[in-house]
Amino acid sequence: TYTPTLASPTLGGQITASTFVLEQPRCVFGEEHSDAVIWLVVAVPEAVPKFNNSVEPGSPERTFQNFPATAPAYLTLNTTLLGYPCPKPPGDITVLRVGAETSCAGDKTRPTCNGPLPGPGPYRVKFLALRDTEPVGETAWSDPITLRRARPPGSVPTTGSGRSAGMIALTSILSILFAVLLASLVALLFFWGSDTHIGSSTFSKPEPVSVRRYNTHHVYDQPAARL
Amino acid sequence: MAKSDGGIHILQGLLVFGNVVIGMCGIALTAECIFFVSDPSGLYPLLEATENDDIYAAAWIGIFVGFALFALSILGIIGVIKSNRTLLLVYIILMLITYAFEMASCITAATHRDFLTPNLFMKQMLEMYMKSETDNNNDKWMTEGVTKTWDKLMLRNQCCGVQGPSDWQEYTSAFRATHSDADFPWPHNCCVMDARGSPVNLDGCKLGVPGYYNSNGCYDAISGPMNTHAWSVAWFGFAILCWTFCVLLGTMFYWSKIEY
Repeated sequence: TYTPTLASPTLGGQITASTFVLEQPRCVFGEEHSDAVIWLVVAVPEAVPKFNNSVEPGSPERTFQNFPATAPAYLTLNTTLLGYPCPKPPGDITVLRVGAETSCAGDKTRPTCNGPLPGPGPYRVKFLALRDTEPVGETAWSDPITLRRARPPGSVPTTGSGRSAGMIALTSILSILFAVLLASLVALLFFWGSDTHIGSSTFSKPEPVSVRRYNTHHVYDQPAARL
Repeated sequence: MAKSDGGIHILQGLLVFGNVVIGMCGIALTAECIFFVSDPSGLYPLLEATENDDIYAAAWIGIFVGFALFALSILGIIGVIKSNRTLLLVYIILMLITYAFEMASCITAATHRDFLTPNLFMKQMLEMYMKSETDNNNDKWMTEGVTKTWDKLMLRNQCCGVQGPSDWQEYTSAFRATHSDADFPWPHNCCVMDARGSPVNLDGCKLGVPGYYNSNGCYDAISGPMNTHAWSVAWFGFAILCWTFCVLLGTMFYWSKIEY
């Protein structure tokens, strides 16, 4: 017998925190069910062994709004065989989104609402064909379906990613260069302070081409004295 | 070794050339930093909300440093040509101060780029996107900035979340508090839009049918411009500083050779 299955995992929304997507039961119910209504039964796993197919959809034991507190199961997504034409056209996406109807989720006048599931589950589903509340056909129960549990955003790990190599190289090279420059400046001023007398701060040359007077400490040749 | 006139002239020429390059690079640095500060990619609100927007501070420093480099290079050219000790000493000291500021800018840009990880943006997106109760005006301003920026990002780049739409499913968020999971497994801006700005197929988008929703993450669209910003400021500044180092050493050497 047919077991309801989840839709293909290529669908990004196959399982969310309050919905899941099933494959439609195409070519499962034959022509003998053409006058029946095919329902989807959603139940907690504990209700599966003693499940009674004859309980009327929408009765207090089968109301979506009481699920799962006082109603261990509910029926929804009712359609006739025309809703599941056989054969399935290739390439079509034939799915059922369980939990899609938010407008009737709190409305007790809509006990067969396809409302968002109240918790992460697990849940088991099957398809049930009823002719005037008399069960005339059913599928097997699915495997338990567990929905997503979302974690709080505080659990996102935001510890630093560490230092990249480029940043370390940049910092160290620049620091070394700066240190060299400072050292050179200190040496320069020290050299200046100890070497020449601190005197003329005015510049004296009239012409732009500078005429140099050689420092007598560094003369190796004797240049012609110039003034 | 005797310093002939020719040698001094060569050194002068080199220093003038070095200062000309510094001046031009200063203008280029100012222009580049103005470009980044103008935030062409519109990502500044995200950084502002992380309270870690120092790559922008680095760009601001770069604007003023670039201008200072240009002005000081002119001073340096005049000082070298006139061989004036005072001018050159002023030049050297001011250049060292400018050097220190530019160093700060480069190191800040490089260091703070390393803080901007995917998880940082994911946490911010989850906590702030479409947050409805804000604590104070500052929180409200930052929340609105984050929300508008993410909406623009998702529409413009056709992406969803930081790593993908699964971000919205794996974690609860401020968005989830006001938008139910059944109606909004992810924000509607993650859907493929038609020309009028509404989803092509909303049910297909909610189901997650490939082709009706954007399944790729936005992290590349965020990190691309930020990397360009941070690394440009850091490495161009580094290049300028290496060149300036050589010119300053040469200037100090030249200065020591001027005697009265």
